Amino acid sequence: MGLDEEGTHARVQRQKRDLIEPTIAEHHGRLVKHTGDGFLVMFDSPVEAVRCAIVIQQSMVGRNASLPRDQWILYRLGVHLGDVIIEPEDIYGDGVNIAARLEGIANPGDVFISGGVYEQIKNKLVCGYQSLGDRQVKNITDPVTVYRVLPDPAAVVQARKTHLPIGTLAALGLGAIIGTAGWYWFAQERPAIVRAPAPAIETPKQAPSPQQAAAPARPQVIPDPAPRPAEVPRAAPAAPPAPVTAPVAPAAPVAPAAPVTAPVVPAAPVVPVMISLAGGTFAMGSNDDPSEKPVRRVTVKPFAISKFPVTMREWKACVAAKACTYSPAADANDDAPVTNVSWNDAQQFVAWLSQVTQKTFRLPSEAEWEYAARGGTATKFWWGDQLQAGMANCKGCGEPYNTTQPQKVGSFTPNPFGLHDMGGAVNQWVSDCWHKTYAGAPVDGSSWLDGDCSSRVIRSGSWRNNPDYVRAASRDHYDTNVRYPTHGFRVAQSP
Amino acid sequence: MQIGRAVLLAAVLSLLPAAVCAQGTKAPSDAYLYFVWPQDGTTIKGAFWARFGLRNMGVTQAGSEAPNAGHHHLLIDVNEPLDTNEPIPQDKSHLHFGAGQTEARIELPPGRHTLQLVLGDAKHFPFNPPIVSKKITITVR
Repeated sequence: MGLDEEGTHARVQRQKRDLIEPTIAEHHGRLVKHTGDGFLVMFDSPVEAVRCAIVIQQSMVGRNASLPRDQWILYRLGVHLGDVIIEPEDIYGDGVNIAARLEGIANPGDVFISGGVYEQIKNKLVCGYQSLGDRQVKNITDPVTVYRVLPDPAAVVQARKTHLPIGTLAALGLGAIIGTAGWYWFAQERPAIVRAPAPAIETPKQAPSPQQAAAPARPQVIPDPAPRPAEVPRAAPAAPPAPVTAPVAPAAPVAPAAPVTAPVVPAAPVVPVMISLAGGTFAMGSNDDPSEKPVRRVTVKPFAISKFPVTMREWKACVAAKACTYSPAADANDDAPVTNVSWNDAQQFVAWLSQVTQKTFRLPSEAEWEYAARGGTATKFWWGDQLQAGMANCKGCGEPYNTTQPQKVGSFTPNPFGLHDMGGAVNQWVSDCWHKTYAGAPVDGSSWLDGDCSSRVIRSGSWRNNPDYVRAASRDHYDTNVRYPTHGFRVAQSP
Repeated sequence: MQIGRAVLLAAVLSLLPAAVCAQGTKAPSDAYLYFVWPQDGTTIKGAFWARFGLRNMGVTQAGSEAPNAGHHHLLIDVNEPLDTNEPIPQDKSHLHFGAGQTEARIELPPGRHTLQLVLGDAKHFPFNPPIVSKKITITVR
């Protein structure tokens, strides 16, 4: 380093925040600690650990590509599987040491894994694996089998032709400690200056790998409680404790929370208009798409659901109260449904709305949504089995239609329950985690929350989908932390 | 005076195209998007893992404005040409990998299917030039 030390440090920190920590959370890893310019992460699954490492390295390629070579930041990553002793703020054991040694001998930009990890993932992750043979590593009695991960198998042939520097030294040490099983990898980042063809690395403060690698084994008190990053991108509900100054009265205007915009905002209620439904038993699903099978009898308890999808006006009130992070364009039509919101964004909104109204708002469950969308009917669409022009806002559903944005709410006929846009307009988030069929789904109208919740259900189809998506039973899914321009939601309440 | 005005005009003009195609995020001309697996013409039994390869660019989460990086979209049996002025559609034949995934478990009904990858920018628009893989055909038994 030496060259622009401060700038490099800032970039490293930014990457930690924008890339490393979210990626670790995405792969269910636990960031145990930072060690100077490196970090140590523990995983429950070796596949997730290696995937995470590959994603980080591939993302770094993109980030470096726009920079001159002398400003590249490269990580060396090592992954090992073994027993560890877990303390609140650190982990110990040979497993940790071997991971650190693997990192020490990895080339910048590479992922090195041990034989144990390789055996676990070789049939599960279609990558190239280049065997580097057995390596003796410092303070570990037995040699460690080392593999280099090549995200693209085609690169294996190429890699065999190039000479790889053979790493490090042999020394003897003792240490047999038994603890809880865990997977982890150790990452050492090098804010390095890469000079010309050979990957010659200058390190900032420390000598090459062995000493550095030893660092994580030293008992250190790191003032960084470990579980912190685990929920980084998903912690939407944590946001609302923002200072909400809006009054408690349900129909109050938002003016107090937004002194700047207040004069422009008409005195409109921030609370969506709700329609109470009696609940009942209905046939949920259809045979039109594999994801909608099997058709089941589902009983829904009484609940209330918003008459329209949440509007831009309602959303902007939440933004003005600093409780919703996503800020739509200032010129967005207030009467249009809010769009480009992720499931996590929607969670911020319902938490804020619950706080200002002192009533519990939530997303509807998938069963509640379909019950409400059917409006007591059992046909494909609430108005019948055939598409009728002008009944919904979709591509091919007739006028009014605009390719670039949804119509304002209430532009189309409501269904028998008095609800608008239950089909078309915007995709609507519900609370359920995604399952590719209904096999095993609850039949009491509750939200299905087990399984993989990184992806949640969206219903209704959007103005950019064709009429098939407008069907009451149509369902799809999307990553909870990703925004997409046709995604909105409506809110629900239990009595 | 004349000169001053002329300079100002030129500046505005050069800004206009940028505003009009705000979506055309630049991509390196040598970026290469491809299927690691399956390969063109492969016959597959049952569900499979599709793996996405990308050279000379990086993979990042949707919403991230990191330069020279995007996220994958898998187009299944799509015949319509790609509209570079609109976000890549989101439906059952346009699968999104906005969390930065580089592989996906895919289950298709028996028969011939086409697969194609399109890289999207932070806002799900195709890059300029569009980073698109070869459209491959596979057979599911």
